[in-house]
Amino acid sequence: MEQVLAAKITGFVATIRANGFPVGIGEVEDAMRVAEATGVLAREPLRWGWRGLLCARADEWHRFDDLFDSYWLPPNRRVLVEAHTSGAGRIELDPGDGAEGGKAGPAIQRAEGESAGSGEEGPSKEGASAASSLDEADFRSLNDREQTHAIEIRIRRFARRLQLLTTRRERAAVQGRRLDLRRTLRRSIGAGGSPSRLSYRVKRRVRPRLVLLLDVSRSMSLYSFFYLRVARALAAELSDIHVFLYHTHLTHVSDALSDPDPWRAQERLQMLSAGWAGGTRIGECLAAFNRLHAGRLVHARTAVIVASDGYDTGEPGLLGRELGSLARRARRIIWLNPLKAMQGYTPVARGMQEALPFVDLFAPGHDLASLDQALSAILEVL
Amino acid sequence: MSTIVDLKTRLADTGYVVERSLAATILLMTDLGRPLLVEGDPGTGKTEIAKALARVRATRLIRLQCYEGLDTYNALYEWNYQRQLLAIQRASAGGQGAMLDDDALFSEKYLLKRPLLEALTEAVAPVLLIDEIDRADAAFEAFLLELLSDYQVSIPEMGTIAARTIPLVVLTSNGTRELSDALRRRCLYHFLDYPSFEKELSIVELRLPDLPRALAAQIVEFAQSLRRLDLKKKPGIAETLDWAASLLGFGISSLDEAGPERIRDSLAALLKTREDVLAMDRVTLDRLVATSC
Repeated sequence: MEQVLAAKITGFVATIRANGFPVGIGEVEDAMRVAEATGVLAREPLRWGWRGLLCARADEWHRFDDLFDSYWLPPNRRVLVEAHTSGAGRIELDPGDGAEGGKAGPAIQRAEGESAGSGEEGPSKEGASAASSLDEADFRSLNDREQTHAIEIRIRRFARRLQLLTTRRERAAVQGRRLDLRRTLRRSIGAGGSPSRLSYRVKRRVRPRLVLLLDVSRSMSLYSFFYLRVARALAAELSDIHVFLYHTHLTHVSDALSDPDPWRAQERLQMLSAGWAGGTRIGECLAAFNRLHAGRLVHARTAVIVASDGYDTGEPGLLGRELGSLARRARRIIWLNPLKAMQGYTPVARGMQEALPFVDLFAPGHDLASLDQALSAILEVL
Repeated sequence: MSTIVDLKTRLADTGYVVERSLAATILLMTDLGRPLLVEGDPGTGKTEIAKALARVRATRLIRLQCYEGLDTYNALYEWNYQRQLLAIQRASAGGQGAMLDDDALFSEKYLLKRPLLEALTEAVAPVLLIDEIDRADAAFEAFLLELLSDYQVSIPEMGTIAARTIPLVVLTSNGTRELSDALRRRCLYHFLDYPSFEKELSIVELRLPDLPRALAAQIVEFAQSLRRLDLKKKPGIAETLDWAASLLGFGISSLDEAGPERIRDSLAALLKTREDVLAMDRVTLDRLVATSC
């Protein structure tokens, strides 16, 4: 294949990679083979072939066409492509480069190679510094889309660890299995009475489960948005997670959160939480949870995560009683209170005072590091 | 180009309508020797791809349905213990125990081939459908990755068995669990969306040739607008076909003539959850019928 063309195809694959597609070196070679098979002049077959080759999941599939167009179509077709991964930063089409873009490869390609050399202040570059600053960034101060996206990725990773954990536990359980003698003998009849296949008692598996109770009152409003994102990321990975919002009422939002359409999910959440009055009645909401949901949802491998600042305006004593009865059902109660990160904070709020005796882990959960720590602690005991 | 169109018409002859982009991807499977991973909502025809492909190539379709806890014994091979035991007993009864050595006992005669091994040992390259791979656990996925890159398996008692022919592998996933990047990268990818009006109409016409054309168009329009509603489980192509068949059974020639009552009775073919059936009140139904006529 001609060298110019080969270089251009390599550039395209690099662009795709810079936009967060998981393509390796091998794909360049395969991309050339696709081009040879379909012919480089047939644009649409080339698009379909490369799309099949270079995409690996649905969101990439939907973004691919824009990237393809912006790279291969003449520069007057301007499609702004935004990078979603934390590494590549934002790729912009510089209007000044439009004229030469045609022969020297479009501007989109430059952003990746040259921005580092020219000393341009890129939005964010890959590296330990970015990661660690994200670790300690208070959730209140995060409003950048890339940062929230990075957080989502981290949470999803946790969720995957939780899934791996279940399989490891189940495999470990196999070693301790017990013979089902009756069944073994029954099955041995076919083989002339020699028990060639042993049957084992099947253990009923209880998978670990997470229940999230998120306070969305006004005093928590700076954080509740992030807890919701965390919940959404978890719900995307795990099927066995149950999310409730509370305020003056308790609402089950798992369905809305797992809505495949993120915009619709947001809309539904807004509708669910609309029209609520001020004040936080944690005790009453916990009572409602215990009465309506706990029997069904909370079992011996359930971790209940409560996120709240503990400012309760309900009847005194109720919170403690209800949390106590919940603690008897659940494996662990984790209380995330963002205020705990503040210097000199002592849990003097009445709600907090009542809750603390029943809480297994009291963590700030105000940034990614502490959230990660709390979640890891859950992993160890589930 | 011509080969894409050619494959498209050949697939259509077997009753499967594809976009040209999918036909192009299927052609690449053989060119690059990579499996095809198909994702999409339930009912968009993922499994049908493999079936149609097997029909077009006139080869066997070998199907492995994945489920939680699927292991290599059910997916790859297992020894037929009963027959081995019987052989041992027969040999010792006949007094020729020395004749029966290990090699004879662990030979192909006593090997139970499960779908994956079967696909590797076919004389003519079959189509191997690994359905709902996301339901199997991560350990099985890793095992599959190894198999799909080398196309050989090792059986400790027999040695390595290399594939006689490389099967065409189609994997489908519903997104129950996130698949590993390694497996995704190994595969060609295709995302099957709900079909466009034209595509769905041609599918309905192809599958149900007796259906009046006007009714077919109304049915498809109805299904399309149903998908735009806020439903818990959107109807797929299979549901549209079921519904069309049931309307055909009622002897209805157009939706507006049928009246809302009979449409409502037949909706069981389209709406599969209680919430969705409850959400479909009189007003919504009337509006849908009105817009699709």
